[in-house]
Amino acid sequence: MWAVLKKEFKTYFLSPIGYVFIGLFLAMFSILFYITTIYQGMTTFQYVFYYSAIYTVVFIIPLLTMRMFAEERKNGTEQLLITSPRSMIGIVLGKFFAAVLVIVITEILTLIYLGILCYFKVPDLATVAVSMFGFLLLSMVYISFGMLVSSLTENQIIAAIVTIAAFVLTWLAPNLSLSFTSISLVEQFYPFATGVFPIAETINLLSMTVMFVVITMIVMKRRKLVK
Amino acid sequence: MIEVKNVTKKYGNFVAVDNISFTVKDGEVVGFLGPNGAGKSTTMNMITGFIEPTGGTIIVNGFDVQKKGIKAKKQIGYMPEGVPLYTELTVKEFVTYMAELKRVKKKERKEKVQKALTETGLKDVEKKLIRNLSRGYKQRVSLAGALVGDPEVIILDEPTVGLDPKQITEIRKLIKDLGKNHTVILSSHILSEVSQICERVIIINKGKLIAIDTPENLEKKTDEKNVILLTVEDSKDNMLKLKKDIPEMLDCKLIKDNEDGTKQYMIESNANVDLRKQLFDILPKKEITIFELKKAEKSLEDAFITLIDKNTINEDKKQEKAPEKEKSKKKDKEEKKSKENKEKKGGKK
Repeated sequence: MWAVLKKEFKTYFLSPIGYVFIGLFLAMFSILFYITTIYQGMTTFQYVFYYSAIYTVVFIIPLLTMRMFAEERKNGTEQLLITSPRSMIGIVLGKFFAAVLVIVITEILTLIYLGILCYFKVPDLATVAVSMFGFLLLSMVYISFGMLVSSLTENQIIAAIVTIAAFVLTWLAPNLSLSFTSISLVEQFYPFATGVFPIAETINLLSMTVMFVVITMIVMKRRKLVK
Repeated sequence: MIEVKNVTKKYGNFVAVDNISFTVKDGEVVGFLGPNGAGKSTTMNMITGFIEPTGGTIIVNGFDVQKKGIKAKKQIGYMPEGVPLYTELTVKEFVTYMAELKRVKKKERKEKVQKALTETGLKDVEKKLIRNLSRGYKQRVSLAGALVGDPEVIILDEPTVGLDPKQITEIRKLIKDLGKNHTVILSSHILSEVSQICERVIIINKGKLIAIDTPENLEKKTDEKNVILLTVEDSKDNMLKLKKDIPEMLDCKLIKDNEDGTKQYMIESNANVDLRKQLFDILPKKEITIFELKKAEKSLEDAFITLIDKNTINEDKKQEKAPEKEKSKKKDKEEKKSKENKEKKGGKK
């Protein structure tokens, strides 16, 4: 797992993708930060994450996930991976955690904004920590789903569009009918921003991540049967 | 040691590899020969565990590729067809990554990477991005990736495609050296290459194993008979009745019915009999016009073509399919040329 993780993480920053992702995220984060806190004179830093999850991450997460397996399949480098003495579990987890690491770095960078806010007034740090944790969990679901889609196609564009479409659907689903509320990932995230530590939602998001990661492993293991 | 037992790969109804069995001993260099689409790459992909066979078992150094995949894969260094590489990495980074994937111990890693780079002559470009390298160098990087960590079995899928002649000789020499203490399987459709490097040759066509032997023996096999390839215009179908007139003729087979009305026959006689003179004398009397007549040269190439052709004809008869278009087109061209020149000899081979 470590070999794959290290290489994948390095690749994010050898190509512009890693920088583009972080740059876009922070640009949007700055705008949301200004609107939700400075402009309104509030210290509700946790809501910046809530709105970033809706308006930014949904659209830029495919930058991290679309190439994961699609590119390998297209270039044939998956042959190198699959014929190496590594288990598929290690390969998939390596790729998954490399993307998660990019998110973690992005989150660490957002602490700069927290510092700016603290200059005016120190917000409730526990609430901020919980919402950052929730944000990480939500991103993990996004990443694992994007990774699954990437493992199903060799076209990165298709992988990206399908990923975004699926997230937008779950995001808008509650507007169609309230019975869809439970599939909305954003709704799952909301309690984290209110300052309580929601155990049910934590388990829910984690299990969704595990589900998508496991399905990806199964898809990749089946590749050698269908190839 | 690699043992391939009754391995079959099907894609739906299409049989890519049909019940192949062979063994490669330790320290042996074996060549895989076959026309395009014969199943060479599929077989190699199955040995390396990239594709799961539909039936049969493959054992590499005692480890079943399907059941003990990781241990089996640890024995193998694989250079896939088409040279897939992570082009955003530098040469050294790539080879190091391959070493890590292959679980080379951290202490030995640097040294093993350097060794692979030196062996493949990549020391000068180790800091360059793979993206910026020429085709020949990319090929070497791929080879270095296969060699790093000294796997006991090395599998190379068309290692010399796209290289310039100098590089080809270098790579061949490298493979020969590797053969001293590794088991090597390589595929190629360049026959001279295989006969130079390999101790044994495996010929497959349409997924079926046709022959396994040393290059010398394969050449000898066709040596046992004198083979003449004859293209004629024979409107009265007298060719197949020739046996009466030429008793020395062992066999006369129709190989191909060309579109321009000519037919190609393969005529066999004992090795000590040369039928060419007799054919020239007798055929005109039978109202048969000779367009082309040539003695099949006794090279591995001919052994290969004869074996493949025979196999293809048999298969075609079975499946009632049209003969391979490509080959017939090529030969048509040759024949048209010889027609124009009104020569009775001709052809490239």
